[in-house]
Amino acid sequence: MQMRPWITPVAWVALLCALAALLPSMAPLFSWVEPGNDNLVYTRDSFWFLLQSHIWLVLVSATIGSLVAVSAGIFVTRPAGRDFLPLVSQIASIGQTVPPVAVLALAVPVMGFGEKPTLLALVLYGLLPILRNTLAGLGGINPTVLESAKGMGMSSAQVLFKVELPLAGRVILAGIRTSVTINIATAAIGSTIGARTLGDPVIAGLVNGNTAYVLQGAILIGLLALATDSLFEAIERAWGRAFSI
Amino acid sequence: MPVSTKPPNRVIPVLALAAFACTWLLDLGVVQPNRIVSGTGYGLYAATGWFGAVVVSSLLAVVIVLATKLTPKRFGALILLLTTALMAQPLLLEVFALRKLPEDSAYARIGLGAGFWCLAFFLALMLLETLGRFKASRRLQFSVVLLVVVSWWFCASREGLSSLSLIREYANRADQFSQALTTHLSLSLGAVAISAVLAFGLALAMVRRERLRRPLLGLVSFMQTIPSLALFGLLIAPLGALSAAYPFLQTLGIRGIGWAPAMLALIAYSLLPMVRNTYVALMEVPEPVVDAGRGMGMNERQIFFKVKLPLALPVIIEGVRITTIQAIGLTAVAALIGAGGFGTFIFQGLGQAAMDLVLLGALPTVFLALAADAILSALKFQRAPR
Repeated sequence: MQMRPWITPVAWVALLCALAALLPSMAPLFSWVEPGNDNLVYTRDSFWFLLQSHIWLVLVSATIGSLVAVSAGIFVTRPAGRDFLPLVSQIASIGQTVPPVAVLALAVPVMGFGEKPTLLALVLYGLLPILRNTLAGLGGINPTVLESAKGMGMSSAQVLFKVELPLAGRVILAGIRTSVTINIATAAIGSTIGARTLGDPVIAGLVNGNTAYVLQGAILIGLLALATDSLFEAIERAWGRAFSI
Repeated sequence: MPVSTKPPNRVIPVLALAAFACTWLLDLGVVQPNRIVSGTGYGLYAATGWFGAVVVSSLLAVVIVLATKLTPKRFGALILLLTTALMAQPLLLEVFALRKLPEDSAYARIGLGAGFWCLAFFLALMLLETLGRFKASRRLQFSVVLLVVVSWWFCASREGLSSLSLIREYANRADQFSQALTTHLSLSLGAVAISAVLAFGLALAMVRRERLRRPLLGLVSFMQTIPSLALFGLLIAPLGALSAAYPFLQTLGIRGIGWAPAMLALIAYSLLPMVRNTYVALMEVPEPVVDAGRGMGMNERQIFFKVKLPLALPVIIEGVRITTIQAIGLTAVAALIGAGGFGTFIFQGLGQAAMDLVLLGALPTVFLALAADAILSALKFQRAPR
């Protein structure tokens, strides 16, 4: 395994962890954005806790979303479920038109405030890009490849797991990447409906007019997004090498 | 094509059964004594009596029967039936208000229940599926959507639904609502327009100089990765410092919060889809077509405006579509930094736990996004080379 592609994500993650741990001791640095204010560092929760909680929300929603979306994508491309294919692919594309913040807001009347509605919104919205890419990935496979796999005596399960999924994997992975990028941003806004995420310092700072809080939250959210994105970049490269045909 | 030999369509029956289950198991509507209290829910039968229950249930039964054997004639009937059902759905609420709303209380209002939303959702899905199977023309699809929207608009403005909590919230804020609409549209469309001009220039520069391609695309996709809340937050400090240092900026309304950071962030987000699509569109004009233009004696300028641009237009419009939808959603978030727009209602409503105020902000945002999608898709389709 080549190490080089992994250097960037590791560097981002290290920077993120270091800042999450060290921001509280960097109060003097923030005194120039908030001169004369004694509350220079967000203290209601530790940044570590918020970071973990943020990552946890995104991780859980991405796992559920990927499982549901990939199984749905597989179901509607099998003979048994092909009836549903046009409708499901239309839902996947029309659904992405709806702004994520609206999905978040609409989850509140259904489930109240807190972590649960945020998770519901993240799962529902995160499903769509994965579903769309699963359909594109499975639909984009050359039919002659499938024919020859069947001709080699593979069962339909073998064709799915040994041919279709590895071939569609890269496109599906790209869908998961899009979904996770959107969900990191949406989870941050989830602070407004009571989820504990890195959006908390930003919202608290906006409400109290404390730019230092806003900056601290914003920097960590930005770093989390960049670290995750470069991680996906590295995974995509590794995947590309492993299954390059 | 011999339709009758096909196995029966299972999608519509499944959706109709799901709609049936939702309308009988979930609350159609809620009666609230005032704005904040959640109130008591009523199912379909309790809310609209046996008449409403029979109408809805038999409608779904007829849909299932029609869908079992889809002949072209039945397709037409199904589209007509589903469209009428969707158009008339607000009448269920009117009946509900008439029967259950206490007359003596000035603050009492009716709210929308999960059953109502589910019924609308499944009816819309069945309509979508039918139109898709029927291979309906764009004009037919457009008229169906227009009919439903106009009918809901008409129902909402009738006296019978004036006790609906959503409409009460609107009536209390009619001025703020139209102001929010103006702000929302001008922010998002303004950002799209500015970024379109910028992106066009950047894409042209990338076409001319290959070595600019990687750094420029890298920069715009880097900006797209930063979550919206973070970017809005990061712009507050520098813009605040700028306006403190140069007071004339304040007279222009440029401050750390408000429309200025929102506009900047929206433009930054809009650049990626716009630059990428414009660049790809201009690069993918086939070389033989350009050569043919040259052969006809066109100069470079004519080739660009008469050959390349028209051919690239559908893909560029697709970029505008993605950007517009994205900007409409992000403008709602920008309300957090005081930019105004429909997001104001959403976050105010969340703060006051007034769910109908949240809806008053969220539903128009969704509607704007869907409308932008429909209009720009139609434009793209119209411009597509045939």
